[in-house]
Amino acid sequence: MKTEHPVNRRWTMRQRDWAVVFWIAFLSAAAGAFVLFGLVNPLDMVNNWADQFDIGMKLAYGLAFAFLYIVCLMASALTMFMIRTGPSRGHATGKGNRAIPEVHDPSQSNPDIDGEDWK
Amino acid sequence: MSQAQDDSASLYRKDPKVYPRDVKGSFASLRKLAVIVLLGLYYILPWLNWGGHQAILFDLPARKFYILGLTFWPQDFIFLTLMLIIAGLSLFFVTAVAGRLWCGYACPQTVWTEVFLWMERWVEGDRNKRIKLDASPWNANKILRKSSKQILWIGFALWTGFTFVGFFTPIRGLGQSLISFQLGGWETFWLIFYSFATYGNAGILREQVCKYMCPYARFQSAMFDKDTLVIAYDEARGEPRGGRSKTVNPAEKGLGDCIGCTLCVQVCPTGIDIREGLQIECIACAACIDVCDQVMEKMDYKKGLISYTTEHRLSGNESHIFRPRILVYATLLLILIAGLIYSVNDRVLLRADLLRDRNALYRELPGNIIENVYTLKLINMDFKPHRYKIEVLNNDNMTLLISPEPRLESEEVGNFILRMQAPENAGRGSMKVDVRFSTLDEPIIERTVSARFLMPFD
Repeated sequence: MKTEHPVNRRWTMRQRDWAVVFWIAFLSAAAGAFVLFGLVNPLDMVNNWADQFDIGMKLAYGLAFAFLYIVCLMASALTMFMIRTGPSRGHATGKGNRAIPEVHDPSQSNPDIDGEDWK
Repeated sequence: MSQAQDDSASLYRKDPKVYPRDVKGSFASLRKLAVIVLLGLYYILPWLNWGGHQAILFDLPARKFYILGLTFWPQDFIFLTLMLIIAGLSLFFVTAVAGRLWCGYACPQTVWTEVFLWMERWVEGDRNKRIKLDASPWNANKILRKSSKQILWIGFALWTGFTFVGFFTPIRGLGQSLISFQLGGWETFWLIFYSFATYGNAGILREQVCKYMCPYARFQSAMFDKDTLVIAYDEARGEPRGGRSKTVNPAEKGLGDCIGCTLCVQVCPTGIDIREGLQIECIACAACIDVCDQVMEKMDYKKGLISYTTEHRLSGNESHIFRPRILVYATLLLILIAGLIYSVNDRVLLRADLLRDRNALYRELPGNIIENVYTLKLINMDFKPHRYKIEVLNNDNMTLLISPEPRLESEEVGNFILRMQAPENAGRGSMKVDVRFSTLDEPIIERTVSARFLMPFD
């Protein structure tokens, strides 16, 4: 039977990028949360204002992880954006980018323009 | 490799080092003024005092930010957030109206690079002398010039790093510590780190930061429209370009107004050719406008071959300043600024946090009295010392006992034990009580906070 999409169920590049952003941010936040809360009690980190809400240990861990996850997501997403919108592969060796502008002595074929520090 | 591939590969080469040529003109003067004002503020502000404090000081250990006579505490985080939102929105607004004005005149990258370039020019000469010096073999002259430049750059970078630390540690004390070689470990680290960042960004990386590292350059296109000011070359007027004498009539030779002197490329700090159209690398510094206008003047042509213009104007249409995007940004900006001014003015310079003692719900005292114990944290956010009066509102049965006496020096945080007592027959279960804190001297600063008072439940 003929299918409409020969590579059905494969993700587009954009979908793959976003999946990587979400997953790597999650792993980073999880690793960060493990290390951080191995050393610090999250309830000690907040000011007295949090005491009014009487947040429990589990909620404190959850909120702290959510915060770390959001920060990691932002860093991850911005990195993806910078890479996607940046110069293409091979740019550093001169492939694919614009030609370097031609520069010469301004007085060349312009007798009324002095070369100033070209001399 | 095929012949065609070989030919196309030979069209390109690696990006060469950019040697921006010095330029004079109205936009160059404007940029110089921006550099002097902005860096002047940066280097001078920490040395000025305001209301007994350093004018700008982000005192992290004490968790207090002093900004021009105002003190912001951790509880005032909302104001700092508002200021950041206003700064971001201002950037959107300015970008939508005038394009990359920020990049060309106010971005720290541009401003410090400009100063580093001044030093470089002063020691090594203008563009062509620098190119020749770099290409020449190492000799006494080259060593002298290069090392002098490095000494100037490093000295300026260290001064910049020192000033940066001075925004976080009182700068006068920091200066004394530096002179007596008693600088703390963290201060030394940040001084060197920020100096290194300045040296690296403004001395070495320069336009690479704008081209490859800056996210603002990448999403500015979302803020641009056809009425946004951009720097553009008038292709219809300039082409076909070509060299000629002043006496030649370009029309007769079939030439446009561009004489192909390439000075616009030579003055460009990012090394692009503006004649190729609007490019992401253009930081809108207008150096090409200044130099092209001078060339046009020398050739007795009309100025403005390269100019600040809009896409609409270039295509012969009318430009509009007031458009929905601008009005939305401006309205939001006005609302936020008004809100910030109002809320900062309306700020109560007293903060009170009342926390119930978690160890006991209540205590029964002789004489059928029920007592609840609280920890009171009072913060005097004023510049003057105060004594405070504390009273329970709308409840005559309640007695308050506090120790020690609620008296705070200017900007002091005090912790007190507050005991509230009520007769056993005053109620049952949990009761809401409003406690009012006010200064005993004029003008009265007051704040009311609510707390729970627990009585036996049966």
